[in-house]
Amino acid sequence: MKLRLEGIGHAFLGRPVFERLDLTLDVGEVVALLGPSGCGKTTVLQIAVGLIDPLQGRVHRAYRRHAMVFQEPRLLPWMTARDNIAYGLRAVGVTRAQGEAAAVRRAEEVGLHPRDLDKYPIELSGGMRQRAAVARALAVDPDVMFFDEPFTAVDVGLKRVLQDLVIETAARERFSALFVTHDLAEAVRIAHRLVVLSGDALGLVTSRSIEGQPGARSDRDVFELVERWSRDPAFRELFDGERERAA
Amino acid sequence: MPALRGLAALTGWLGRYAWSAWAGVAGLFCLAAAWQAGHEFYGSFILPSPLETLAALSALIREPSFAIAARETAERSLIGFALAVTIGTGAGALAGYSFAAMRLMRPIVTVILGVPPIAWVVLALIWFGSSGGSAIMTVVVAAMPISFAGGLEGVATRDRALDAMARSFGASIWLRFRTVTVPHLISYLFPAWTTTAGTAWKVTVMAELLSNSGGIGGELATARALFDVPLVMALIVAVVTFALATEYVLLQPLRDRLERWREAGLPWGVKR
Ligand SMILES: Nc1ncnc2c1ncn2[C@@H]1O[C@H](COP(=O)(O)OP(=O)(O)OP(=O)(O)O)[C@@H](O)[C@H]1O
Ligand SMILES: [Mg+2]
Repeated sequence: MKLRLEGIGHAFLGRPVFERLDLTLDVGEVVALLGPSGCGKTTVLQIAVGLIDPLQGRVHRAYRRHAMVFQEPRLLPWMTARDNIAYGLRAVGVTRAQGEAAAVRRAEEVGLHPRDLDKYPIELSGGMRQRAAVARALAVDPDVMFFDEPFTAVDVGLKRVLQDLVIETAARERFSALFVTHDLAEAVRIAHRLVVLSGDALGLVTSRSIEGQPGARSDRDVFELVERWSRDPAFRELFDGERERAA
Repeated sequence: MPALRGLAALTGWLGRYAWSAWAGVAGLFCLAAAWQAGHEFYGSFILPSPLETLAALSALIREPSFAIAARETAERSLIGFALAVTIGTGAGALAGYSFAAMRLMRPIVTVILGVPPIAWVVLALIWFGSSGGSAIMTVVVAAMPISFAGGLEGVATRDRALDAMARSFGASIWLRFRTVTVPHLISYLFPAWTTTAGTAWKVTVMAELLSNSGGIGGELATARALFDVPLVMALIVAVVTFALATEYVLLQPLRDRLERWREAGLPWGVKR
């Protein structure tokens, strides 16, 4: 057990977002968190990371270090890609030289060319910026990673590449991850387990293990599971929300 | 290799700076032409020609008393500028962190900004008498609200999303202040600082003239009493030169250095 959320509840301006939410992350486990838009997924992550304090419940952390990848890259515009990637290390007090070395290594891992490291974020493409954000999170050697719909804004091809990167590094470095997404196929590709947050402040509606290891599932398996689950009543809310928004 | 690249970047920057200086000089010559036209229309007594002024200026510079007066004025406006910027920016940044302080301070700043500097000179004269202190105080009071407003707006409009990112990595408040707030703050402060620097020179000379406490203002008072119009013009040109030098030799290069990241985003040809 790396992280345990126990009876978490939160409200904004008196309006409850969710109540009595329990969630655990085991060592090396990747959990996908799904839910209709506005149900409080980002809020759960912010509580888990410690950016906001929950109104009810407790957060138990049994790890050294965590890192988060946001929906937008959130790079500091006045720092080069290199310094941005090393930023998390600087925050934990690693020396400059060591930070640089780690930044270069992680940049290569996420597919950033060394030439791009001296560029400012404004000179990078959207995909390169998100790669840098992932590298920044990986650079601190986290035990737990939090992802908040990190690949929503990148194109389909790059999305796959980045998903594979997450699957691969999670397996190699044995970090646990909580991965928020609204894309059932993405969840089924990268996670061991999938949980759905209710849109009516009821906490988690369902938790399912996904067969096989992430990365070992074929596209066909993923497709069939998504087909089957999208007809499942437990997932109905996910797709209802989509329909409501479209109407 | 990095040294070579640094050198190339420096040369490029110097080239661009010289080019923009060239454009600035062209503008100044247009002004001189208009001045000459005015001189030909009104005659030397009302408006001495640019050349006469330059002659008076070069005579002025050779006088040892001018160096003393200029140093006096420079010291006063520098002290005033430093005090105004430090106190103003510091208090403004602190106020930016607190909504209550912000609400309280904004109207105060608005009122202080509304008081004309000349009114401060009168008050300073009563409090400090005919000394350098009254010039410095006038500069501080007249220039501080601008820095204060810059510091306040800069902190209040800092990017909270970036701050949250830094907090998620466990960055200390000091690191967040240095890496997230300050770079953003600087872009708010530079316009405030350039205005403050200009104000400092002008207000110092004005306060000196009115309080008869030496400096270039004192020289100006003497020249006026003697009806030495070319000397008056020469002193004005000297003050303007000092003010421009402060901005273009001190502040602009500093800004270019600190805000390289902003320039990096501009397309070719828009850079300056
Ligand atoms: N700072 C805040 N102040 C007030 N209300 C907030 C705040 N942050 C979120 N909310 C509200 O809380 C609810 C949950 O927001 P949250 O951002 O967690 O949703 P989400 O599940 O991440 O949605 P999405 O999938 O669209 O990102 C929303 O109704 C939102 O309006
Ligand atoms: Mg969200």
